Amino acid sequence: MKTEDLIATLAAEPAPPPAASLERRAGLGAVAGLAVTVVLFLAVLGPRANLGAALSDPVVLAKTLMPLLLALFAGALALRSARPAVPSGVPGRIVWLVPAAVGALFFWALGATEAGQRLVAFLGHSTQVCIPAITVLSLPILAGLIHAMRGGAPVHPARSGALAGLAAAGMAAAIYSLFCTEDSPLFYAVWYSVAIGVATGIGAVAGRRFLRW
Amino acid sequence: MTDRSDRWGALLGRANRGEAVAYAAFLQDVTPVIRTIVRGRSSSEFENEDIVQEVLLAIHAKRHTWREGDPVAPWLYAIARYKTADAFRRRKGAVQVPIDDLAERLADEAPGDPTAARDLGRLLEGIDERSAGIVRAVGVEGESAGEVGARMGMSEGAVRVAYHRALTRLKKMAGSKE
Repeated sequence: MKTEDLIATLAAEPAPPPAASLERRAGLGAVAGLAVTVVLFLAVLGPRANLGAALSDPVVLAKTLMPLLLALFAGALALRSARPAVPSGVPGRIVWLVPAAVGALFFWALGATEAGQRLVAFLGHSTQVCIPAITVLSLPILAGLIHAMRGGAPVHPARSGALAGLAAAGMAAAIYSLFCTEDSPLFYAVWYSVAIGVATGIGAVAGRRFLRW
Repeated sequence: MTDRSDRWGALLGRANRGEAVAYAAFLQDVTPVIRTIVRGRSSSEFENEDIVQEVLLAIHAKRHTWREGDPVAPWLYAIARYKTADAFRRRKGAVQVPIDDLAERLADEAPGDPTAARDLGRLLEGIDERSAGIVRAVGVEGESAGEVGARMGMSEGAVRVAYHRALTRLKKMAGSKE
Protein backbone atom coordinates (compact mmCIF):
# COMPACT_ATOMS: atom_id res chain seq x y z
CA MET A 1 0.00 0.00 0.00
CA LYS A 2 1.25 3.46 -0.83
CA THR A 3 1.76 5.73 2.13
CA GLU A 4 -0.70 8.20 0.60
CA ASP A 5 -3.39 5.52 0.52
CA LEU A 6 -2.62 4.50 4.07
CA ILE A 7 -3.05 8.09 5.21
CA ALA A 8 -6.36 8.33 3.39
CA THR A 9 -7.53 5.09 5.02
CA LEU A 10 -6.49 6.18 8.50
CA ALA A 11 -8.06 9.62 8.10
CA ALA A 12 -11.37 8.01 7.20
CA GLU A 13 -11.55 6.13 10.51
CA PRO A 14 -13.72 7.42 13.36
CA ALA A 15 -12.23 9.67 16.04
CA PRO A 16 -10.45 8.04 19.01
CA PRO A 17 -11.89 7.86 22.54
CA PRO A 18 -11.28 11.00 24.62
CA ALA A 19 -7.82 11.49 26.09
CA ALA A 20 -8.89 11.18 29.73
CA SER A 21 -9.82 7.53 29.33
CA LEU A 22 -6.30 6.35 30.20
CA GLU A 23 -6.59 7.81 33.71
CA ARG A 24 -10.05 6.35 34.10
CA ARG A 25 -8.90 2.94 32.97
CA ALA A 26 -5.93 3.05 35.31
CA GLY A 27 -8.21 4.06 38.18
CA LEU A 28 -10.54 1.18 37.43
CA GLY A 29 -7.62 -1.23 37.04
CA ALA A 30 -6.11 -0.17 40.35
CA VAL A 31 -9.46 -0.44 42.16
CA ALA A 32 -10.14 -3.88 40.69
CA GLY A 33 -6.66 -5.08 41.67
CA LEU A 34 -7.01 -3.50 45.08
CA ALA A 35 -10.28 -5.35 45.67
CA VAL A 36 -8.55 -8.68 44.99
CA THR A 37 -5.66 -7.71 47.24
CA VAL A 38 -7.97 -6.68 50.10
CA VAL A 39 -9.91 -9.94 49.86
CA LEU A 40 -6.64 -11.87 49.83
CA PHE A 41 -5.42 -9.87 52.82
CA LEU A 42 -8.59 -10.42 54.83
CA ALA A 43 -8.69 -14.12 53.95
CA VAL A 44 -5.09 -14.92 54.82
CA LEU A 45 -3.75 -12.25 57.19
CA GLY A 46 -6.37 -9.86 58.53
CA PRO A 47 -5.77 -6.73 60.61
CA ARG A 48 -3.82 -6.89 63.87
CA ALA A 49 -5.52 -6.66 67.25
CA ASN A 50 -6.11 -3.12 68.53
CA LEU A 51 -5.36 -1.64 65.14
CA GLY A 52 -6.88 1.73 66.00
CA ALA A 53 -4.85 2.10 69.18
CA ALA A 54 -1.65 1.12 67.38
CA LEU A 55 -2.23 3.65 64.62
CA SER A 56 -2.50 6.48 67.13
CA ASP A 57 1.28 6.23 67.48
CA PRO A 58 2.73 8.38 64.65
CA VAL A 59 5.68 6.03 64.17
CA VAL A 60 3.24 3.17 63.56
CA LEU A 61 1.02 5.36 61.42
CA ALA A 62 4.04 6.21 59.26
CA LYS A 63 4.35 2.50 58.45
CA THR A 64 1.01 2.77 56.65
CA LEU A 65 1.20 6.36 55.41
CA MET A 66 4.66 6.26 53.82
CA PRO A 67 3.91 3.41 51.42
CA LEU A 68 0.54 5.00 50.68
CA LEU A 69 2.23 8.27 49.71
CA LEU A 70 4.74 6.34 47.64
CA ALA A 71 1.88 4.59 45.84
CA LEU A 72 0.25 7.92 45.10
CA PHE A 73 3.36 9.48 43.55
CA ALA A 74 4.48 6.32 41.76
CA GLY A 75 0.99 5.86 40.36
CA ALA A 76 1.00 9.39 38.99
CA LEU A 77 4.44 8.78 37.48
CA ALA A 78 3.36 5.48 35.94
CA LEU A 79 0.43 7.22 34.28
CA ARG A 80 2.62 10.01 32.96
CA SER A 81 5.07 7.46 31.59
CA ALA A 82 2.26 5.85 29.64
CA ARG A 83 1.97 8.98 27.48
CA PRO A 84 4.88 9.60 25.12
CA ALA A 85 7.10 12.58 26.01
CA VAL A 86 5.07 13.71 29.01
CA PRO A 87 7.62 14.87 31.62
CA SER A 88 7.55 13.42 35.14
CA GLY A 89 6.82 16.91 36.51
CA VAL A 90 5.89 17.55 40.14
CA PRO A 91 5.42 13.90 41.21
CA GLY A 92 8.85 13.12 39.74
CA ARG A 93 10.40 15.78 41.96
CA ILE A 94 8.58 15.02 45.20
CA VAL A 95 8.53 11.22 45.07
CA TRP A 96 12.07 11.30 46.51
CA LEU A 97 10.70 12.80 49.70
CA VAL A 98 9.24 9.42 50.63
CA PRO A 99 12.50 7.43 50.72
CA ALA A 100 14.19 10.44 52.30
CA ALA A 101 11.58 10.53 55.08
CA VAL A 102 11.84 6.75 55.55
CA GLY A 103 15.62 7.03 55.77
CA ALA A 104 15.25 9.81 58.35
CA LEU A 105 12.83 7.63 60.35
CA PHE A 106 15.32 4.79 60.28
CA PHE A 107 18.14 6.91 61.63
CA TRP A 108 15.88 8.52 64.20
CA ALA A 109 14.93 5.04 65.43
CA LEU A 110 18.55 3.99 65.43
CA GLY A 111 19.25 6.79 67.89
CA ALA A 112 16.11 6.25 69.92
CA THR A 113 16.57 2.49 70.34
CA GLU A 114 18.84 1.13 73.04
CA ALA A 115 22.03 -0.30 71.60
CA GLY A 116 21.21 -3.83 72.80
CA GLN A 117 17.75 -3.72 71.24
CA ARG A 118 18.73 -2.45 67.78
CA LEU A 119 19.58 -5.77 66.19
CA VAL A 120 16.49 -7.43 67.66
CA ALA A 121 14.26 -4.67 66.30
CA PHE A 122 15.99 -4.72 62.94
CA LEU A 123 15.72 -8.48 62.45
CA GLY A 124 12.20 -8.69 63.87
CA HIS A 125 10.40 -12.00 63.74
CA SER A 126 8.47 -11.86 60.48
CA THR A 127 10.68 -11.08 57.49
CA GLN A 128 9.81 -14.47 56.04
CA VAL A 129 6.14 -13.40 56.02
CA CYS A 130 6.61 -9.71 55.32
CA ILE A 131 8.58 -9.88 52.09
CA PRO A 132 6.56 -12.56 50.26
CA ALA A 133 3.25 -11.15 51.55
CA ILE A 134 3.88 -7.62 50.29
CA THR A 135 5.13 -8.98 46.98
CA VAL A 136 2.12 -11.25 46.48
CA LEU A 137 -0.37 -8.62 47.63
CA SER A 138 1.05 -6.21 45.05
CA LEU A 139 0.50 -8.55 42.11
CA PRO A 140 -3.26 -8.07 41.56
CA ILE A 141 -2.82 -4.29 41.66
CA LEU A 142 0.12 -4.52 39.29
CA ALA A 143 -1.95 -6.61 36.91
CA GLY A 144 -4.76 -4.05 36.98
CA LEU A 145 -2.37 -1.16 36.36
CA ILE A 146 -0.49 -2.91 33.56
CA HIS A 147 -3.74 -3.87 31.91
CA ALA A 148 -4.86 -0.25 31.96
CA MET A 149 -1.51 1.08 30.79
CA ARG A 150 -1.63 -1.11 27.72
CA GLY A 151 -4.19 1.41 26.54
CA GLY A 152 -1.48 4.06 26.71
CA ALA A 153 1.73 4.22 24.75
CA PRO A 154 4.68 3.73 27.11
CA VAL A 155 7.88 4.30 25.15
CA HIS A 156 9.96 2.83 28.00
CA PRO A 157 7.99 -0.32 28.82
CA ALA A 158 10.31 -1.61 31.54
CA ARG A 159 10.40 1.75 33.30
CA SER A 160 6.63 2.12 33.11
CA GLY A 161 6.22 -1.40 34.44
CA ALA A 162 8.62 -0.67 37.30
CA LEU A 163 6.64 2.45 38.22
CA ALA A 164 3.43 0.44 38.15
CA GLY A 165 5.13 -2.18 40.33
CA LEU A 166 6.25 0.54 42.75
CA ALA A 167 2.74 1.95 42.98
CA ALA A 168 1.24 -1.52 43.46
CA ALA A 169 3.85 -2.39 46.09
CA GLY A 170 3.17 0.85 47.96
CA MET A 171 -0.52 -0.01 48.20
CA ALA A 172 0.28 -3.60 49.14
CA ALA A 173 2.71 -2.52 51.85
CA ALA A 174 0.18 -0.07 53.27
CA ILE A 175 -2.37 -2.87 53.48
CA TYR A 176 0.11 -5.36 54.90
CA SER A 177 1.14 -2.85 57.56
CA LEU A 178 -2.34 -3.18 59.07
CA PHE A 179 -1.46 -6.81 59.88
CA CYS A 180 2.18 -6.33 60.79
CA THR A 181 3.09 -5.85 64.45
CA GLU A 182 6.72 -4.89 63.84
CA ASP A 183 6.49 -1.24 64.76
CA SER A 184 10.11 -0.17 64.75
CA PRO A 185 11.33 1.76 61.71
CA LEU A 186 14.49 -0.30 62.10
CA PHE A 187 12.37 -3.17 60.84
CA TYR A 188 9.88 -1.71 58.45
CA ALA A 189 12.06 0.94 56.83
CA VAL A 190 14.37 -1.85 55.71
CA TRP A 191 12.26 -4.92 55.06
CA TYR A 192 9.26 -3.13 53.55
CA SER A 193 11.71 -1.41 51.22
CA VAL A 194 13.22 -4.74 50.25
CA ALA A 195 9.76 -6.15 49.48
CA ILE A 196 8.82 -3.03 47.53
CA GLY A 197 12.06 -3.37 45.60
CA VAL A 198 11.24 -6.97 44.69
CA ALA A 199 7.75 -5.99 43.53
CA THR A 200 9.19 -3.10 41.51
CA GLY A 201 11.53 -5.52 39.77
CA ILE A 202 8.62 -7.80 38.96
CA GLY A 203 6.86 -4.74 37.55
CA ALA A 204 9.83 -3.95 35.33
CA VAL A 205 9.90 -7.49 33.95
CA ALA A 206 6.14 -7.47 33.45
CA GLY A 207 6.36 -4.09 31.74
CA ARG A 208 9.02 -5.27 29.36
CA ARG A 209 6.81 -8.20 28.48
CA PHE A 210 3.30 -6.76 28.49
CA LEU A 211 3.70 -3.05 27.83
CA ARG A 212 5.40 -3.36 24.45
CA TRP A 213 3.24 -2.22 21.56
CA MET B 1 9.93 24.42 15.27
CA THR B 2 7.39 25.66 17.78
CA ASP B 3 5.29 26.94 14.90
CA ARG B 4 5.26 23.49 13.47
CA SER B 5 4.35 21.88 16.78
CA ASP B 6 1.54 24.42 17.19
CA ARG B 7 0.24 23.76 13.73
CA TRP B 8 0.34 20.01 14.35
CA GLY B 9 -1.38 20.53 17.68
CA ALA B 10 -4.21 22.44 16.06
CA LEU B 11 -4.59 19.80 13.35
CA LEU B 12 -4.42 16.84 15.69
CA GLY B 13 -6.85 18.46 18.10
CA ARG B 14 -9.37 18.87 15.31
CA ALA B 15 -8.58 15.37 14.08
CA ASN B 16 -9.28 13.83 17.49
CA ARG B 17 -12.62 15.58 17.50
CA GLY B 18 -13.46 13.75 14.30
CA GLU B 19 -12.35 16.05 11.47
CA ALA B 20 -11.03 13.66 8.84
CA VAL B 21 -9.65 16.45 6.66
CA ALA B 22 -7.55 17.88 9.47
CA TYR B 23 -6.35 14.39 10.33
CA ALA B 24 -5.28 13.67 6.76
CA ALA B 25 -3.46 17.02 6.66
CA PHE B 26 -1.74 16.19 9.96
CA LEU B 27 -0.58 12.77 8.77
CA GLN B 28 0.62 14.18 5.47
CA ASP B 29 2.48 16.93 7.28
CA VAL B 30 4.29 14.58 9.67
CA THR B 31 5.14 11.85 7.17
CA PRO B 32 8.31 13.51 5.80
CA VAL B 33 9.51 14.08 9.37
CA ILE B 34 8.91 10.42 10.21
CA ARG B 35 10.71 9.44 7.03
CA THR B 36 13.74 11.42 8.17
CA ILE B 37 13.70 9.76 11.60
CA VAL B 38 13.45 6.29 10.05
CA ARG B 39 16.20 7.04 7.54
CA GLY B 40 18.42 8.27 10.37
CA ARG B 41 18.33 4.85 12.01
CA SER B 42 18.49 2.76 8.91
CA SER B 43 21.60 1.57 7.11
CA SER B 44 19.80 0.89 3.86
CA GLU B 45 16.74 2.23 2.13
CA PHE B 46 15.38 -1.27 2.25
CA GLU B 47 11.91 -1.47 3.83
CA ASN B 48 12.15 2.10 5.15
CA GLU B 49 8.77 3.02 3.76
CA ASP B 50 7.27 -0.03 5.47
CA ILE B 51 8.57 1.27 8.77
CA VAL B 52 7.27 4.76 8.03
CA GLN B 53 3.88 3.17 7.57
CA GLU B 54 4.24 1.23 10.81
CA VAL B 55 4.96 4.50 12.60
CA LEU B 56 1.91 6.11 11.00
CA LEU B 57 -0.20 3.18 12.15
CA ALA B 58 1.23 3.50 15.65
CA ILE B 59 0.45 7.21 15.75
CA HIS B 60 -3.03 6.39 14.58
CA ALA B 61 -3.54 3.69 17.20
CA LYS B 62 -2.14 5.86 20.01
CA ARG B 63 -3.43 9.29 19.00
CA HIS B 64 -5.65 9.37 22.07
CA THR B 65 -2.52 9.44 24.29
CA TRP B 66 -1.86 13.01 23.16
CA ARG B 67 -3.70 15.53 25.30
CA GLU B 68 -4.80 18.76 23.81
CA GLY B 69 -2.38 21.45 24.92
CA ASP B 70 0.65 19.14 25.17
CA PRO B 71 3.33 19.85 22.56
CA VAL B 72 2.84 17.48 19.62
CA ALA B 73 6.40 17.35 18.29
CA PRO B 74 8.02 15.58 21.27
CA TRP B 75 5.06 13.22 21.48
CA LEU B 76 5.37 12.39 17.82
CA TYR B 77 9.15 11.96 17.92
CA ALA B 78 8.91 9.69 20.96
CA ILE B 79 6.47 7.40 19.15
CA ALA B 80 8.48 7.51 15.93
CA ARG B 81 11.73 6.67 17.72
CA TYR B 82 10.13 3.89 19.74
CA LYS B 83 8.45 2.30 16.75
CA THR B 84 11.49 2.66 14.52
CA ALA B 85 13.77 1.04 17.08
CA ASP B 86 11.19 -1.66 17.59
CA ALA B 87 10.86 -2.30 13.86
CA PHE B 88 14.60 -2.57 13.31
CA ARG B 89 14.97 -4.83 16.34
CA ARG B 90 12.26 -7.14 15.08
CA ARG B 91 13.72 -7.25 11.61
CA LYS B 92 17.09 -8.06 13.07
CA GLY B 93 15.65 -10.81 15.22
CA ALA B 94 13.69 -12.29 12.34
CA VAL B 95 15.10 -14.42 9.54
CA GLN B 96 18.28 -12.77 8.36
CA VAL B 97 18.23 -14.27 4.86
CA PRO B 98 18.45 -11.56 2.20
CA ILE B 99 15.13 -11.46 0.44
CA ASP B 100 16.55 -11.77 -3.04
CA ASP B 101 18.18 -15.12 -2.26
CA LEU B 102 14.91 -16.32 -0.89
CA ALA B 103 12.94 -15.06 -3.84
CA GLU B 104 14.07 -17.83 -6.19
CA ARG B 105 12.84 -20.52 -3.89
CA LEU B 106 9.66 -18.77 -2.99
CA ALA B 107 8.80 -18.61 -6.66
CA ASP B 108 8.12 -22.35 -6.47
CA GLU B 109 5.24 -21.74 -4.10
CA ALA B 110 2.31 -23.19 -5.97
CA PRO B 111 -0.16 -20.34 -6.27
CA GLY B 112 -3.61 -21.54 -5.47
CA ASP B 113 -2.95 -23.98 -2.72
CA PRO B 114 -4.93 -22.27 0.06
CA THR B 115 -6.22 -19.82 -2.52
CA ALA B 116 -8.36 -22.64 -3.85
CA ALA B 117 -10.21 -22.81 -0.57
CA ARG B 118 -13.86 -22.00 -1.04
CA ASP B 119 -13.90 -19.41 1.67
CA LEU B 120 -10.83 -17.52 0.53
CA GLY B 121 -12.73 -14.26 0.65
CA ARG B 122 -13.54 -14.79 4.28
CA LEU B 123 -9.98 -15.80 5.10
CA LEU B 124 -8.61 -12.75 3.35
CA GLU B 125 -10.69 -10.54 5.58
CA GLY B 126 -8.75 -11.97 8.49
CA ILE B 127 -5.38 -10.63 7.36
CA ASP B 128 -4.25 -7.07 6.76
CA GLU B 129 -5.42 -5.32 3.64
CA ARG B 130 -2.02 -5.03 2.11
CA SER B 131 -1.26 -8.75 2.34
CA ALA B 132 -4.77 -9.59 1.17
CA GLY B 133 -4.20 -7.35 -1.85
CA ILE B 134 -0.99 -9.16 -2.69
CA VAL B 135 -2.62 -12.58 -2.37
CA ARG B 136 -5.47 -11.48 -4.60
CA ALA B 137 -3.17 -10.01 -7.22
CA VAL B 138 -0.61 -12.83 -7.32
CA GLY B 139 -2.66 -15.87 -6.35
CA VAL B 140 -6.04 -15.09 -7.86
CA GLU B 141 -5.46 -12.64 -10.68
CA GLY B 142 -2.17 -14.27 -11.58
CA GLU B 143 -0.13 -11.09 -11.78
CA SER B 144 3.61 -11.50 -11.49
CA ALA B 145 5.37 -10.39 -8.35
CA GLY B 146 7.20 -7.79 -10.42
CA GLU B 147 3.96 -6.20 -11.66
CA VAL B 148 2.44 -6.13 -8.19
CA GLY B 149 5.66 -4.71 -6.78
CA ALA B 150 5.75 -1.94 -9.35
CA ARG B 151 2.16 -1.03 -8.53
CA MET B 152 2.65 -1.09 -4.76
CA GLY B 153 6.10 0.42 -4.68
CA MET B 154 7.78 -2.73 -3.37
CA SER B 155 10.64 -4.79 -4.76
CA GLU B 156 9.79 -8.04 -6.49
CA GLY B 157 11.48 -10.00 -3.72
CA ALA B 158 9.54 -8.13 -1.04
CA VAL B 159 6.27 -8.97 -2.79
CA ARG B 160 7.20 -12.64 -2.95
CA VAL B 161 8.10 -12.71 0.70
CA ALA B 162 4.93 -10.87 1.67
CA TYR B 163 2.93 -13.27 -0.49
CA HIS B 164 4.61 -16.27 1.06
CA ARG B 165 4.01 -14.98 4.58
CA ALA B 166 0.39 -14.21 3.79
CA LEU B 167 -0.12 -17.73 2.41
CA THR B 168 1.42 -19.23 5.52
CA ARG B 169 -0.92 -17.20 7.66
CA LEU B 170 -3.92 -18.14 5.51
CA LYS B 171 -3.00 -21.83 5.70
CA LYS B 172 -2.80 -21.55 9.44
CA MET B 173 -6.17 -19.82 9.57
CA ALA B 174 -7.75 -22.35 7.23
CA GLY B 175 -6.33 -25.14 9.36
CA SER B 176 -7.65 -23.71 12.58
CA LYS B 177 -11.12 -23.33 11.15
CA GLU B 178 -11.47 -26.97 10.19
